[in-house]
Amino acid sequence: MSFTRLLCLTLLTLLAGCGEPQQDPNVDYDQVYPAVDGGNMINAMTGEPSGLIPMIAGESAASAIASNIFNSLLKYDKNLELEGELAESWTISPDHRTITFKLKPDMKWADGQPLTSADVLFTWKLVTDENTRTPYGSDYKLVIKAETPDTRTFRVSYQEPYAPALDTWAGLQILPKHLLEGQDINTTAFARNPVGSHYYKLEQWRNGERISLIRNPLATQGEARIERLVSRFIPDAASQFLELMADNIDTMNLNPIQYARIFPSRPDLTQKIGLYKELGNSYTYLGFNLKRKPFDDIRIRQAINYAINKQELIDGVLLGLGEPVSSPYKPGTRWTNPELQPYPYDAQKAIALLKEAGYADHDGDGILDKDGKPLTFEMLTNQNKQREMSAVLIQRRLKEIGIDARIRVLEWASFIGRFIKTGEFDAVVLGWSLSLDPDQYSIWHSSQQAPGQFNFIGYNNPQVDRLLEQGRLELDIEKRTKIYHEFARLLLEDSPIVYLYAGYGLPAIHKRIKGIDDPAPPAGIGHNSHEWYIPQPLRRLEISAQ
Amino acid sequence: MIRYLLNRLLWMVPLLVGISLISFFIMHLAPGDITATEASFDPKASEESRQKLRELYNLDKPVIVQYGLWLKRMATLDFGTSFASHQRPVFWQTTDEQGNVRKGMIQQALPVTLLINVLSLVLIIAVALPLGVISALTRNRAPDRAITFFVFIGFAIPGFWLALMLMYWTGVANNWLPISGLHSIGYENMGAIAQIFDTLKHLVLPVFISGLSGLAGISLFVRNGMLDVLHQDYITTARAKGLSENTVVYGHALRNALLPLITIFGLSIPGLIGGSVIAESIFAIPGMGKLFYDAVLMRDFPVIMGILTIGAALTLIGNLLADLAYAWADPRVRRGVMQ
Repeated sequence: MSFTRLLCLTLLTLLAGCGEPQQDPNVDYDQVYPAVDGGNMINAMTGEPSGLIPMIAGESAASAIASNIFNSLLKYDKNLELEGELAESWTISPDHRTITFKLKPDMKWADGQPLTSADVLFTWKLVTDENTRTPYGSDYKLVIKAETPDTRTFRVSYQEPYAPALDTWAGLQILPKHLLEGQDINTTAFARNPVGSHYYKLEQWRNGERISLIRNPLATQGEARIERLVSRFIPDAASQFLELMADNIDTMNLNPIQYARIFPSRPDLTQKIGLYKELGNSYTYLGFNLKRKPFDDIRIRQAINYAINKQELIDGVLLGLGEPVSSPYKPGTRWTNPELQPYPYDAQKAIALLKEAGYADHDGDGILDKDGKPLTFEMLTNQNKQREMSAVLIQRRLKEIGIDARIRVLEWASFIGRFIKTGEFDAVVLGWSLSLDPDQYSIWHSSQQAPGQFNFIGYNNPQVDRLLEQGRLELDIEKRTKIYHEFARLLLEDSPIVYLYAGYGLPAIHKRIKGIDDPAPPAGIGHNSHEWYIPQPLRRLEISAQ
Repeated sequence: MIRYLLNRLLWMVPLLVGISLISFFIMHLAPGDITATEASFDPKASEESRQKLRELYNLDKPVIVQYGLWLKRMATLDFGTSFASHQRPVFWQTTDEQGNVRKGMIQQALPVTLLINVLSLVLIIAVALPLGVISALTRNRAPDRAITFFVFIGFAIPGFWLALMLMYWTGVANNWLPISGLHSIGYENMGAIAQIFDTLKHLVLPVFISGLSGLAGISLFVRNGMLDVLHQDYITTARAKGLSENTVVYGHALRNALLPLITIFGLSIPGLIGGSVIAESIFAIPGMGKLFYDAVLMRDFPVIMGILTIGAALTLIGNLLADLAYAWADPRVRRGVMQ
């Protein structure tokens, strides 16, 4: 939300230390309690899901809630390695074209009906159906044959080996055939009244206010401990924070100012609320339009990379709550090449590279030029405070080495429509997600440059193209790791984008909630939320009375 | 009279079409459509699927054709369904063959907004009228100065800032009022009285915040209206007749001073269905302002047009009602209408 508002809130909370604490100050939240079942956990979300069928709804609010309701065949464990969820095991045929999933025995939907391979097949048919309005169908359309030899076996065959396949099966949440057959998936009432197989089932959905989930006793993965999960929709971050301070919600995601400035000055808050850090899901970058001069010259790109101080960005924009990245993967996971280091901040090297490329300040105006043309470009970004602040810091550093960078902030739709799709830009400050599967064909392959596709910066490196193609065909995980380590190395060297930083996720969780893994593993703080519990003495009075 | 009414009502049709035409084109001036939202900028989503969606919603057709299609639907009072993935009806609920009811988006957002706006209108009238009258009667003396001062502060203070301060004071520092939302978590298990009380507690701050600027405006309006009237000849006459000060002020002056308010209230009818985005976001209230704002950000054209059309129709009706009320209240105007 707006910066002024945050500032007000900061001042307010600093000044208002004299406010009466309403909680009994004698409760010791740090005491150790044995694990018990029951209790309610309330969290805050900024948006409301449009529906709870993830393949249709698509937005993050929907997947956050649906991930408590539905299972996939596979899932990522706490170290972001694949493991079975509905599947007990999976085997890959010697020619790497067929994957056979063996489902766990005796699984049931929350309404008591058996969950079988027929449901999996049904879900695959849905997601690939022409009439299903999902943007995510293309991965599953690569399956040329899907079959169910028996109720516990599901087998898919591909035209050629497709390495990201397993990741796609971790992303497809299985829907119940017996409830959805014959319905229009796009408009079905099931989207607001879903029946799943995971730890929780829908208890109530109050439009625009909250969704409450209640423990599913038939859960395929065993029972969760906390009885009820309530998600309140509070669009404003400042209001969420007030609710957290007043103890009306248990968890929310903080921003760096709340985390690093407000909390340390409020012992009454740190006494009852725990702060955590987890790896963020995305990184911010400065991307160049490689089809335009001067960015077709690798020396210019590398010079800019050397001229940007990444630690300064992390300290200034994220108040230190982030880390630099040197490949498009989550740091600490298998796909990250440990040998790669970000370009260090080295202004002298940057100036030397620019000189080598033929740039010097001939006319003495402080801006480098070549053939009478000054070295100047425009950085576009959308209305995102962190990206705007990063652009300002970059602008200053580039000025120091004689590059004149201007900043232009745009509303998202015109940003995409008028500049990205048409290729009418010099450079952008944007973000990409740190994907779990290493395949990044759609972002970096030279064939993906048409308007509306994602290689809009026009990156074209035949070596990288080959690696991306190989990586899609290689199912052996060790060989695949090597391919993507090499891919990341080439990408870093080519410097088509400058990796700026990956910010941390900053969840705040009330200390009444126990069983949290701290520090958070790569999968994030919520990876074991089914094991979290709330000891009886720490529960909210008004709700436990129900 | 009847002819006048019919005439006015008939004129509303071309006016509405004109308004909707302009709205439709302005809406399409903004770049992008539903397939160009930030969430759709996802490498896992393919361009073909976006193109398919564009064709499905006729977004690939020229704007004038899209307008024609929209107008054709509107002719049967069909507001259509949202472009968002849930495809809910824009205006009112529909029932499918299995008997499942899908609630309309405006249908769900409207009651909350209406409730808040009606309550704040009541608050405005209840507070602004006496304030304005007192202010006028004590012109340039201490009470007038104090009232004008506070009214200006109320007018100038940023609503979101005051809202956050009040939320902190009444919700965090003291446990007097809930901070945001419309109902407490345990609402379903409360008795009927407790439920009403719970809702009212949640409404105190939103109603106060949304009424504040209106309160300032109306009380100044009443003050100035009163001052104008108090200098009229007929007030002097009334005083000369030896009427008591109360009869002069409340029987003669106030009634005349309130005439212009009819116009203001007439014009505030469309405002009753429009919520404030800022207040609704801060207080986490799922009302019309948030609905419209989200629809604009998503380029959800049917929802935008639905809200604009209803707003335009209500504005025209509000104008008509204001004119009629004027005629009823003021004989001078009445004579003009009757002819």
